[in-house]
Amino acid sequence: MSEIISQSVLRGLAAEWIAGGKSVAGPARVKPDLVLYRTLRSGDDLLLEGFQRPSNSIKDFLFPKAEKLYGYKIHGNSIELIENDSPEPAQVIIAARPCDAAALPILDHVFNWDFHDEFYNRRRAATTVVTLACSAHDENCFCTSVGLDPGSERGSDAILFALGSGQYEVRCATEKGHALFDGKTEKSERTGKAIAGPEKRFDAKAVRAFVTTHFEDPFWNEHALTCIGCGTCAFSCPACHCFDIVDAGPAAGNARVKTWDSCQFSTFTAHASGHNPRPVQATRQRQRILHKFAIYPEKFGEILCTGCGNCARNCPVGLGVLSVATEINHG
Amino acid sequence: MDNVYKPDLMEVTRIRQETPDVKSVSLRFLDSERARNFSFRVGQFGIFSAFGYGESTFNICSSSNWKDHIEFCFRKVGRVTEALWKIEEKDVVGFRGPYGNGYPMEAWKGRDLIFLGGGIAMPPIRCAVWYALENRADYGEITVVYGARTVADLVFLDELDEWSKAERVRIIRCVDPGGETPDWKGEIGFVPHVFERAQVAAKDPVVLVIGPPIMIKNTLPILDKMGVKPASVYTSIENRMKCGIGKCGRCNVGPIYVCKEGPVLTMEQLQGLPADY
Amino acid sequence: MSKAQEFEPKIVAYVCNWCTYLGADLAGTARLEYPPNVRIIRLPCTGRIDFNLIIKALEVGADGVLVSGCHPGDCHYTAGNYHARRRWILFRELLDTLGIDLRRIQFTWISAAEGRKWQQVVTEFTDQTRKLGPYKELYATGPFPDVPAPETASPGVKSFAAESELREVCGKLLAEGTVKVVIGYGARGPVVVTRAEDAERLVWNNRCFSNLTAYLKRKEIKSLGKAAVIVKPCDEKSLVELEKEAQFERKDAHVIGMACEGVDQPKCAHCTARTPRFADVTLGVEAGPEPQTSPSPNRFAALMAMPPAERMAFWTEEFNRCVKCYACRQVCPMCYCERCIVDKNRPIAIDPAPSTKGNFAWHIARAFHLAGRCVGCGECSRACPAGIDLALLNISLHIAAQKNFGYEAGIDPKAEPVIGSYTLHDTEAFIR
Repeated sequence: MSEIISQSVLRGLAAEWIAGGKSVAGPARVKPDLVLYRTLRSGDDLLLEGFQRPSNSIKDFLFPKAEKLYGYKIHGNSIELIENDSPEPAQVIIAARPCDAAALPILDHVFNWDFHDEFYNRRRAATTVVTLACSAHDENCFCTSVGLDPGSERGSDAILFALGSGQYEVRCATEKGHALFDGKTEKSERTGKAIAGPEKRFDAKAVRAFVTTHFEDPFWNEHALTCIGCGTCAFSCPACHCFDIVDAGPAAGNARVKTWDSCQFSTFTAHASGHNPRPVQATRQRQRILHKFAIYPEKFGEILCTGCGNCARNCPVGLGVLSVATEINHG
Repeated sequence: MDNVYKPDLMEVTRIRQETPDVKSVSLRFLDSERARNFSFRVGQFGIFSAFGYGESTFNICSSSNWKDHIEFCFRKVGRVTEALWKIEEKDVVGFRGPYGNGYPMEAWKGRDLIFLGGGIAMPPIRCAVWYALENRADYGEITVVYGARTVADLVFLDELDEWSKAERVRIIRCVDPGGETPDWKGEIGFVPHVFERAQVAAKDPVVLVIGPPIMIKNTLPILDKMGVKPASVYTSIENRMKCGIGKCGRCNVGPIYVCKEGPVLTMEQLQGLPADY
Repeated sequence: MSKAQEFEPKIVAYVCNWCTYLGADLAGTARLEYPPNVRIIRLPCTGRIDFNLIIKALEVGADGVLVSGCHPGDCHYTAGNYHARRRWILFRELLDTLGIDLRRIQFTWISAAEGRKWQQVVTEFTDQTRKLGPYKELYATGPFPDVPAPETASPGVKSFAAESELREVCGKLLAEGTVKVVIGYGARGPVVVTRAEDAERLVWNNRCFSNLTAYLKRKEIKSLGKAAVIVKPCDEKSLVELEKEAQFERKDAHVIGMACEGVDQPKCAHCTARTPRFADVTLGVEAGPEPQTSPSPNRFAALMAMPPAERMAFWTEEFNRCVKCYACRQVCPMCYCERCIVDKNRPIAIDPAPSTKGNFAWHIARAFHLAGRCVGCGECSRACPAGIDLALLNISLHIAAQKNFGYEAGIDPKAEPVIGSYTLHDTEAFIR
């Protein structure tokens, strides 16, 4: 026995959530060749088929590109701090890809080992993630190489499997998932199944072994020669989480703001004195791979990558984790 | 909401200009309850902020035994430090911390202590020296070698004089060749050479060496010759940080987050890490 | 009291130290009355007024901005105001494309003797701004019609005939040591080839999008020795500009020009350069006579057909997607500054956060820094992961440079760059 839902009921539900004051985000077509996860205005905005995956990731809704940490007012030589304690509105992310949802447990570790980042936690608590299992993969996908697959439930509160003809099987994994779908689905005999994953492209353990033993290696320089040093890979990655803290001046209303940052920027580690431990692009590319395959795993026991392939799809010069990892793996 | 990024507000109680481009600042918490509950370990750091300009990371260079205030010391070199340069007494700055691991002062008990510092590296040594002097019975012989490029670049000079009055303490001041003044009474030479010349007779000492990479590099062979094990040589790493609490991803050196597992590391630890600092 | 009377506009006046400031001073000492709405900011010269400042004033809440300096010919520094005038001509076009209300920015020349003109200009500009009301439309969202999206690349790979010849030529260059490195295209994107046998990795097909001249500035590549760079005729234009700006010398690189059939990019529909003109070697079949003029793309025409408020709404929506990854800057062959203005923080000219204001400030700065320099390779639009059609801003400035100064970047190596030169006859129609 399974629970199923039709696409039209699903859209209707999304509309209901929106009407009920929830913020609902999901894939939407922004331009003919661009699909992004964005806040949906209506159930019809939701795009369920006809694309590989959105160009951004659902981290946008839990760890936004800019978040005000607090405001401040300067009165002579006294300072007044202004905090925003208003509760986070309930949020549903619908039709997330499994490789997006799987990044949330990864981010949970970072934002909670020892110190707790309540900005992230509050959003996380207010968010329900409804994943849509993949029905296709492309040449940039490599979830199976990092221990996931097109039907992974990791990080999902509920997961949908396409049954064809506009029907989806709904499997609720958490209380939050049940709260959304209980009573909204129909019983059925049909069960869904994710497609088989892409062929395994590399061995993550071998990548880790290489990066931890080849800190100084010509490989990095050769590989990074065409990297242009933008932040596209990091910003479209579901798991990358580096950030900066900046003072947005009077123009933005005197606030301290947490903004996304990327290890690919030359200024990322530059000291005010001019010293930079990572002076060339090769060292920055190395850091990205090191962090994903060695630094994070050593600390938290899993890989900082879900194999979504966004880095490669978005890279203006055709690089990305997959090409580096395969090159390392196959020599 | 428990906002880990929200700073404490601290009032500037004293500013001292140490050199043409270095100042040390004393701060006290505006919130009296926070002041009462606050404690830290020497060697830890704080993230200090000039509102409207940003945050910057500095060692808390006062001793953890001083209960009424904390101090930090900075060189005017970037956006935030230029703003801090302009602050005056009674102004308010932000403080987050204490962060990082600090020196294992408990584990150092009973050992001889050697402190080697270069230039602006004195503040993170100074807190440990004061702490050791305030708990004098706990530690053996104390040697401090402190040098800077020129006489004008030496910080906390008056305190060096004060320390030298304590028992079983040897203070050696030096400046790089050419950096001396006609009335300079200290040594002339680089810290490692001056230290080697001084023939410090210490048995199984703990060494804290902080300074530019070249100074550290030249010091290690000398320590090796003295038979000091890398596990007994400590330093404090300066990597760029933003959050200070292991999240922003900026400070790692290999698997170590300098803001959490550092900034104090032994040479033994450092030898196992990539040179990403 | 009516609503209109309640509103008092805030006006920021950037004035030059030598003429207008003294003119304003004279107005004061002559007891000439004028509205107190104006906040004067004195700068050495109009030539020194960074366009960012004009935007910044509006950003922080000014309802109008007055910019005033010495009359042409009177500049204390000989030609500062001529340079300023030239920049304003282009800058206004950019602001117009963005939908910024040009009535809120008044340029004027006021000499030290013209206290009365200062009085008049301030009075009239204040009255006009008061009538316009508070500048609420700045960076405001709202409805706007669809702007056609750039035509997208076809998914298939179509190899061009010259591919094998290209591999052969590059292999030979490397084998003979003429060059140490070849910057070319590989199956997934740009590749840097250093060994002759690796020349087989080079491709020449309809997916060769990148403008590879952007790599010539990279230290890591320079350190490898003399480079051969593969250029399409459109990319070749950047070499012309880079050479003018002393960023590139022909002897530094061996230029391999590819006669081009188009690479499925929006720009290709309007291409006027199909045959390389300056290359050391040209491969492929020369495509014959070039079309002399290119119509501006219809997506630009559609944008400019909207009223300003809709244009502003369009850009607000576009820029709100910007994540400040700076891919637009990093792919650009003309963005070669050692340290970009957004990475400078003393002072911070552009809000570093990817906020609406910060994003507008960044994209205005990026586009205007490329005024008269952008060769239209379109890499900024292609690289943007948020799908922002940034090239529209460059197209706007390209058209402005052509219209006002007859200048087209990348064509004539002898033509003086638009920014950095001036004539005595540049248009003054918008200056009071």
